[in-house]
Amino acid sequence: MSTYRLSTAGQQNAAISQILQQQVKLAKTQQQVSSGDRFSSPADDPVAATQVLGIERAQAQLDQYGKNAGVVSDRLSLGESAMSDLSTLLQRVRDLAVEAQSGALDDTSLKSIAAELQSRAGDLQQIANRQDGSGQYLFAGYSTGTQPFASTTSGVSYLGDQGTRQLQISGSQKMSDGFNGQQVFMDVQEGNGTFTVTSGTHTGTGVISTMQVTDPAQWNAAGAAAAAATPPMANSYTVRFTDPDGDGTADSWELLDASGNAVMDNGTPPAAVTGTYTDGGVISFNGAQFTLSGQPAVGDTYSVQPAGTESLFKTVNDLVSALNAGGSTPEARATLNTSINKALGQIDQGLDHAVDVRTQIGARLSALDTASTLRDDTGLTLASAKSKLKDVDYASAIATLNQQMVGLQAAQAAYTRIGQMSLFDYLR
Amino acid sequence: MTDMLNVALSGLRAFQTALDTTSHNIANSSTVGYSRQRVDLATQTPQGVNGLTTGSGVLVTGVSRSADALLAAQMRSASSSYSRLDAYADKAGTLNNLFANSDTGLSAALQDFTNALQGVANTPASTSDRQVLLSQAGSLVTRLQTYGTQLDNLDDQVNQELQTQATSINTIAKNLASLNQQIARATGIGSSAPNDLLDARDAALADLSSRVDTQVVTNDDGTVNVMIGKGQALVLGSVASTIVTQPDKYQPDRTSLAVQTPNGPIDITAQLSGGTVGGLIDFRREMLDPARNELGRMAVALTDATNAQHHAGQDLNGDMGGDLFAVGSTQVFAARTNTSAATLTATRTSTAQLTADDYVVRYDSGAWRVSRSDTGEQVQFTVGAGGALNFEGLSVAVNGTPKTGDSFLVKPTGNAVDGLKVLISDTSKIAAAAPIRTATTSGNTGSGTISVGEVLDSGNAALRSTVTIKFTDANNWQAVDAGNNVVASGAYTADGNIDVNGWRVQVGGAPAAGDSFTISSNIGGVGDNRNALQLADVLNKGILSNGTESLDAAATRVVGAVGVQTASANSSLDAQKVIYDDSKTAVDSVSGVNLDEEAADMLRYQQAYQASAQMIQVTQTLFETLINAVNR
Repeated sequence: MSTYRLSTAGQQNAAISQILQQQVKLAKTQQQVSSGDRFSSPADDPVAATQVLGIERAQAQLDQYGKNAGVVSDRLSLGESAMSDLSTLLQRVRDLAVEAQSGALDDTSLKSIAAELQSRAGDLQQIANRQDGSGQYLFAGYSTGTQPFASTTSGVSYLGDQGTRQLQISGSQKMSDGFNGQQVFMDVQEGNGTFTVTSGTHTGTGVISTMQVTDPAQWNAAGAAAAAATPPMANSYTVRFTDPDGDGTADSWELLDASGNAVMDNGTPPAAVTGTYTDGGVISFNGAQFTLSGQPAVGDTYSVQPAGTESLFKTVNDLVSALNAGGSTPEARATLNTSINKALGQIDQGLDHAVDVRTQIGARLSALDTASTLRDDTGLTLASAKSKLKDVDYASAIATLNQQMVGLQAAQAAYTRIGQMSLFDYLR
Repeated sequence: MTDMLNVALSGLRAFQTALDTTSHNIANSSTVGYSRQRVDLATQTPQGVNGLTTGSGVLVTGVSRSADALLAAQMRSASSSYSRLDAYADKAGTLNNLFANSDTGLSAALQDFTNALQGVANTPASTSDRQVLLSQAGSLVTRLQTYGTQLDNLDDQVNQELQTQATSINTIAKNLASLNQQIARATGIGSSAPNDLLDARDAALADLSSRVDTQVVTNDDGTVNVMIGKGQALVLGSVASTIVTQPDKYQPDRTSLAVQTPNGPIDITAQLSGGTVGGLIDFRREMLDPARNELGRMAVALTDATNAQHHAGQDLNGDMGGDLFAVGSTQVFAARTNTSAATLTATRTSTAQLTADDYVVRYDSGAWRVSRSDTGEQVQFTVGAGGALNFEGLSVAVNGTPKTGDSFLVKPTGNAVDGLKVLISDTSKIAAAAPIRTATTSGNTGSGTISVGEVLDSGNAALRSTVTIKFTDANNWQAVDAGNNVVASGAYTADGNIDVNGWRVQVGGAPAAGDSFTISSNIGGVGDNRNALQLADVLNKGILSNGTESLDAAATRVVGAVGVQTASANSSLDAQKVIYDDSKTAVDSVSGVNLDEEAADMLRYQQAYQASAQMIQVTQTLFETLINAVNR
């Protein structure tokens, strides 16, 4: 302002206006201090306000992911406890099978074991049909409202589906909250997981026990060769007992492929694959071998097939049927022992399977822990970022408040002093 | 000696007038708009006697007004800008406060809705979680509509204030015309200038300028002409025009200002700038309309995106999902001045391309022109089937034959929020599940796996029919329907897309010959949450602004934009206040009354008056001396 003359009213208005401005500023600082927020509306700091919106959204999202993870964790725990019960149950079934295996038992004892097994089969179904707190089936895939395992005339069938529900536990991570019934109870690997041996026509007392893959590469190569043949063949074989020396005892075996033709070796000229049989000895070909004991009859066959899957229900039910069939004759006993051996194999597979599932649950729970730690860290970062943007710096705010109070007081004092000055006061 | 008496008397009279003026000044020292007055003194024409020229006293030649027309004009202009910003910032502040609370903001409501979707995804079969979702959807709608209502309230306020301003402007205009008349008369008589009338007129002009930007021209006879807008005469000498409010040319519920002429009212809304009126109009155009349109665009995006995804899901009853939200349709207003009965119908064709603008579609000499209603910027369009005009996510169909000069206002999103509602009230109708499920056939010998599948076309009639993908050999597959008909086939690529019947799956790993996978209806899949997760995902995706902006980002941007506009209005207001205050001080420094100055004047005039009175006494003494001399 240059060398203006000032009007008295203008001077007073200016002084009042300054006091008002000071009061407005003071009120703003006072609001900051009392609310703890650096700004009260987006206009005060649009950039920070929009950033805060973003952070608050991320926080809300994080909270939701935390809740989701909690749900996953609860459900996995339910699954874990079912798997634990399953292991206990399978162990009991195994004990019963081992008990039945000892040759001393008569048919009545076998039947009583069968009876207990029958009730264990019921328990198994109950575990499989277990529900969560809100009545939803744990092992039904997506069809959680439908009882997944039901007994039919052909055994227990799975009415659920192969879905597994996933929940969002972080912005980029989804996690399954369980397993479907197909995975847990139906798809248990058959035999040793690679192949399985079953009795075909047999009138002798041959009993199949251990089976193992001695050379996986050879087994796979044979399978590939069979698939590449014209027409393609399955990688399955029949072991047939023969009596080359004509003494009436089946002391040799020959190998037939899926089409019923003799399998030839790689020699020159190729010769048929055969072997001699000794009681309790191994029958071995194509990198696979199984143990046979007892005395098969001439013409008895055993088929070797790639392993499929078998349900735990079928394993237990087959064992019950085998036990009920009894083992009073040597032939019947041989059939029974083969069945028990097979059942033991399957139960072991089942136990491994349960352990597998529990391991996966454990892995998921540990991943949930990691995710939770990560969430906490992110939460802290977000909170501190928000605080930096939004929270008032009390030290500086209170300093400002004091300054402004002093300023206001000074303006008020100046007004009262200067306002009193008038030339008229001196005209007496 | 008589001369001496006359001279003293002239002094007495002059200083009495001066003291009167000083007294008037002091009395008006706090009167707004008062300009201080000064007596102009001059020596009387001297008289020549006997070759000598003696003074014959003082003469009051006039009482002048300390005023500067240029400074007054500057102050009016500053006041006009200040009032514009004041009105603008005031309304902007209201809008800003509307968006201020982040806890109850749009962003929070969107997040709550997304979280509720996650809740349903957690327990898809739970009625209570579904209920939460529906109520959160309701809250989101309410939130948007509360904003909508409050924007409408602001609109009403603007309308009402414009009406009030129009009335005030008319009153001032009449007053100015009358003052002009009085001033012309007073000036015509030829006496000294009518100072207080001039002050009153200046005050009226300042008042008018605070309401609307004015141009003032002074005439020879002392009257002024006042123009507003782009030269529309408001006051011509002693004649005042009338400003009327009338419905907007396109939107009947919107107030516009017009000046009354013998040929009917002429709309001058778009031409008015400055003052409270200018601030209100600018706020309506720059903040209110865009905010409403942005909210509308979000409502449209929310509706389109969630409905599309919801259609691709399956509800608790096993039915395909229906519409979750409904949104208000587009609006087209034909101008009142149109001469044909042609109408336009606008349809939204793409949410991603939709803008928050309104458009003026005009027919001139056989051709259509599309421009943005706020800026007037031309918009390119293509002509589609049936002569429809396609531009920016809209398709505008023409019905009837337009005539040159016809124009229409197209509002793609202005009404969207009004019509927004949740269409589902039955919790079981929420489509949380996907409509299909996939399965690996038991007994497959290969290691092939199948993905969970996704829906490409929810409208496909065969979507949920059972289809089996069979591997005829390790490298080829056939898709076979329930009637054993091959519906598709192809060579196997690991994780390649297999698209049949509106769904897509991928098979990975090494399937063996004879292996098969089935895709079937997911009826009964009450525990499935795939569609709920996808719904939640959609809300995080870029569905606006050509796929670059998510709903939440848009909500944040709107809040930020309003904040920035308000902050900038506030800081402009602060800056303008300084300019306005300076201009007032400048006027004041010329015209204001300073009491100390008046005190000095008073002292001066009083002393001169006393001295003049003393002169009369001296004259009397002289006279007595003379008389006594004669008597002796």
